[in-house]
Formats: sequence, structure tokens, C-alpha cells
Amino acid sequence: MIEFDHVTISLGDFLLDNVSLTIRNGDFYFIMGPSGAGKTIILEAIAGLHEPDKGKILYDGRDVRGIAPEKRRIGLVYQDFSLFPHMTVEKNIAFGMRMRRLQKFEIRAQVKELMERFEITHLSARAPLTLSGGEQQRVAIARALAINPEYLLLDEPLSALDPITREHFIDELRSLHRDQGLTIVQVTHDRRDAAILGTRMAMIINGRLIQEDRVATIFSSPEMDQVARFIGYENIYTGEIISCENSLCTVDLGKVRVFVVANVHRGDQVSICIRADEITLHSLDGVKSSAQNTFKGIVASLVISGALATVEVDIGIKVSAIITAKSAEELVIEPGRPVGLSFKATAVHVMQASAFPAHSPEPGSH
Amino acid sequence: MKDLTGEDKWTKKKNIARQLDWCLVGFAILGGVLVMLPLLALLNITFSQIADIPYLLEIATQKQVINAILLTFAAGLVAVFILLIFGTPLAYVLARTHSRANQVIESIIDLPLVLPHTVAGLMVYILFMQRGLIGAPFKQLGIVFEDAFPGIVVAMIFVSTPFYVNSVREGFQKVPVHMENVARTLGATRFRAFLLIVLPSSIRHILNGSILAWGRGISEFAAIIMIAYYPMVISTLIYYDFTTGGIKESTAVAFVMIVVCLGVFLVLRTLTRFVGRYDDRV
Repeated sequence: MIEFDHVTISLGDFLLDNVSLTIRNGDFYFIMGPSGAGKTIILEAIAGLHEPDKGKILYDGRDVRGIAPEKRRIGLVYQDFSLFPHMTVEKNIAFGMRMRRLQKFEIRAQVKELMERFEITHLSARAPLTLSGGEQQRVAIARALAINPEYLLLDEPLSALDPITREHFIDELRSLHRDQGLTIVQVTHDRRDAAILGTRMAMIINGRLIQEDRVATIFSSPEMDQVARFIGYENIYTGEIISCENSLCTVDLGKVRVFVVANVHRGDQVSICIRADEITLHSLDGVKSSAQNTFKGIVASLVISGALATVEVDIGIKVSAIITAKSAEELVIEPGRPVGLSFKATAVHVMQASAFPAHSPEPGSH
Repeated sequence: MKDLTGEDKWTKKKNIARQLDWCLVGFAILGGVLVMLPLLALLNITFSQIADIPYLLEIATQKQVINAILLTFAAGLVAVFILLIFGTPLAYVLARTHSRANQVIESIIDLPLVLPHTVAGLMVYILFMQRGLIGAPFKQLGIVFEDAFPGIVVAMIFVSTPFYVNSVREGFQKVPVHMENVARTLGATRFRAFLLIVLPSSIRHILNGSILAWGRGISEFAAIIMIAYYPMVISTLIYYDFTTGGIKESTAVAFVMIVVCLGVFLVLRTLTRFVGRYDDRV
């Protein structure tokens, strides 16, 4: 288990600020956040490449301050794979074992096994820069696994891959996690990776930990509007609770008022978010509905993509709705036309309004 | 008249003119002026020398000319060797740190680039003369710089340091820090990561820096004569011949030096052409 106990790391103008998180053994843990949030620095701090200015990093309860990266059993794979260009594929994979002074026959056997497992035996004598992205990635993973790491750290390993290679690699990662029980920590800014593979995740924004929880929990219950925006909520607004009755509260968003179900109080400043696919569009001929939030608006834009259509409706505020292209056609949705819009009070997720000062952007890793 | 493609001469010429990249042609003409100057000088000296080959051979086989060339090349090699030992770590520190002090250090390193070489020579002399800050303790050890081989070497080091350090630092900067980080997680200490990953990845820049530094060292004159007029390096010998024997003698020695240097540099560039290229598609 890896724990960050109030860890603060400053690098130039960037500050990783008082981060506490827990990566349990067997987790496929995602560190997610926008570019420059400090994700890679967390990963490098786990590997021992940055020491905390304040706080502690614990491996199974043991403070690892002062333990050099080469003394920790960590596999690290960067987005650019960082293969050693002057070594063949075989030598790249063998490098960690050579550094650990394993016997030559052991190194040969393990390299052979890894190359077979990742189907790169035919590439053994090739120079890394002559390989495709997918091939380089398999070499990088094989090299990281060659030292039998306790933790595998991946820094946006999927972002540079074409869709087919990406799918293949996701399967490989899933197999590494499930079949071998390897604890994997992956940095990403792509929510799809976390949704597909992750068990737990941390949201980092501007060097601060915003939320840490199970992936499913964060996706369904983001605690802040910044998190909601990042995990793909299309409609996010800020307002004030103006009335509450049995948890059915009204939020004043300025030009419109929205009913929500939440444990909040009158006068609270809140952010609310609604997924676009929770919004229903209908004609204006008086359809009765159980939805508490019903509005009339004007279609601002329509984008059809395959079977789905994204419609932006102006009800005083802009609201995005995802409906089927068939519905858009039947309802004659066109920019400038009036349309009815509704959503349930329970479809609205209520969060505390965030007030984070922006930090300077994260520098390149050092 | 039409050729096999059915185009007449004029159409063909027009097509070629259309296909030419006139921007590049213009740039090539402008840049060509710079190439023409040394080429013209080279041809000029070559024609004057090959007109009297027996005299040229007599000069080229003179013991003092051969000795001066060998001394110059040897001093240059020693200077490069010392730069490899001291300049490489300095270049790495400058490449991997981002302190404000770096700007000061880099300015100090670049100083010989902007100083008149006589000033550089004076600085070297004051430091390494027998009563100098460094010269005095070395004298105690029996090493003297004035009018001696070590003096030539330090003068060469002084003027060639920026060429070596800047080239190697640039090479180190091009090696991603990520590669070192990965090497360390795989079990390499920082020093081993430097030795096994950074150095081989920067080999082209190290070789290039060494060739530049060697070239700069062996071409130095002013800084060398300030501390070590004797033993004569080739530049000193040419100057000596010019002032005592006249233009004919000094030009003959200069021509020998040009031929030798051109040959050495051609060989070095050819040998290092494929070093450090890791992508066999290139």
C-alpha cells in the first residue's frame, strides 16, 4: 500500500499542495486531472524521483524518505516510453536485471519469456526508434516488468496510440491487473481510461487533490464542479439555494430556477450538474410529466453525430441535451425553433461551489 | 526539336525553371558567397604552391615543420582529453539544473568567444606564469607552463572550452530526463544512468564538441604565444616564418597545415558520420 500523508512538493513555480491519498495493494488506481495539474509529479514522487518538502510517502506504513529510486521496486512507463535508443529491444528489457546483477542465464531466460509474452521476440535485435508506437509500448512494459515491480506506474501510456493498438493495450493492462494482481497506478487526462480500467481514482487540479474515491463513485457523485466538468458532465451551473422543503430545494441560477433533491440549506452557494442524456426534449403541446423541471426554450444549435444528436437549448441559460437523431427529426429540432425541455430533480447532482485559486502550471518533470 | 516525351527544348527548360525552388536558389547564392571566400583563398594558395612543388616538399619535410604540426595536434588532443574529463560533468550540470547561477556560469564559459585572443592569452599567462595563482603551486611540483607544452595546452583549453561545453550541454539537454528516470527505477544509480544512458545517447554531440574544440585549439595563435612562444606550434611557426623568411616560406608552411587539417577533419567527419545514429531508417 502506498500512502501520501499531507505531501507537499514544490518544483520551481509549481506546488503539489498537501496531497493525501491511499493506493491499496491490488488497486488499478487512476490519477486524473487536466494537463499541468501535477499528476506526473505524484507518479515520480512514488518512484522516489522527488522527495516531499512536507509530509510523508509511506510504502506499507514505512516512510520511504531517502530511499533512492533504484532501491525501490517500481516499474515506470512514460507516455513517450523512454526506451534507450542506443540499445536493442533485448538489451532494453535486460537493463533492469543487469543493474540488479542477475546471472546472465537468468537474464536471458527472463528476457525470452517476456518477449514471448508480449509477442516481440521478432523485434529483439531492433533499435527502439525503428519500432511502431504499439511495439515500443510493449517493449517499455516488458522492460518495466522485468524487475518484478511491486507497483507499476504508467504515465498516460495510451494517449499516443492509434485506436486499435489502444484497445489491444487496454486488454493487456486489464490482464496484468486481474490475472497477476499487480498494483497499477496510471496517470491520465482521459476519463475513458479510468472508466474502463480503474478501481479507484484521485482527481488532481492545480496541484491539489480534489476528490479521491472509487471510480464509479466519482463518476456518479463528483464533489466539485471542476471534477464534474472533467469527468464529462455537459451542464454545470452555479447558484444559490433559495428554498428547501423535505430535501426538495430550489436553486436560483440567475435567469432560471431549478428543483433539486439534496441535503442543503437555504442560502448555500452550490454548483449543480446534469448529464446531457438526462435531459428530455419535447414539443410545446402540453405533455404531462413527472419531471419537476420543465422549461420552454429556443434551439440554439444542433449537431448530429451518427444515431445521436446534441442539441443546445436556450432557456435563459444554455442547456445541452443528447437525444436520438430520430427524435430530433420527429420533433423537427432546428436552430431558432421553440422546444420544451425537462429533467427530473433527482437527475441534478448538487455539489459545493469550488473556489480554488489557480496555481502556476506544472513544469516539465525533473 | 522534340525528345522522347514529345517536349521541345524550350518547353523542357521552362518546366525545369518552374520546378525550381527559387527561394532556395536565392539562399544558396547568398550562402555561396561565404563558401566562395575560403574556397578562393584556398585555390589561390594552392595554385601558388603547386607551381613550385620541389620547394613545397622541401618545406613540408623540414623537421621543424613536422615537429610543429605534431606538437600542435598533440597539444590539441591533450586539451580535448582534459575537456572530456572536466567539461563533460560541467555540461551535464548545466543541462540538468535550472539555477540562476547557470546564466553566470554560461557567461563565464562563453567569455573566450568574445574576448580578443591577446586578452585571453594575457589572462592565461597571469594565472599560469611561474608566479601566478596556479602556476606557482605547479612550479613546486615541477610543472612549468611558460614556454612549455603545458602552457600551450592550457591556452588551447581556455579558448576551446565554450565550443566543447556548449556542444555537449546541448546534447545532454536533448536526452529526455524521462530516460534517466526510467533507468533509475530499473536499478541504475544516478551516475550509472549518466554513464550508461546519457553519455551514449549524446555521443554525437560529444564527438562534435571534441572535434570543434580540437580545431579551435590547434588554430589558436595569440593566446599561445603569450604563454608559450616556444616550443613553436604551427601557428607560431607560420608567424615566425612570415616575419623572418617572408611570404613564400610562411605560405608553404601554411599550405602544409591546410592540407593536413583538411585531411584530418575529412577523416574525422567521415568516421563520426554514423556514430550515435540509432534509427536505421534514417
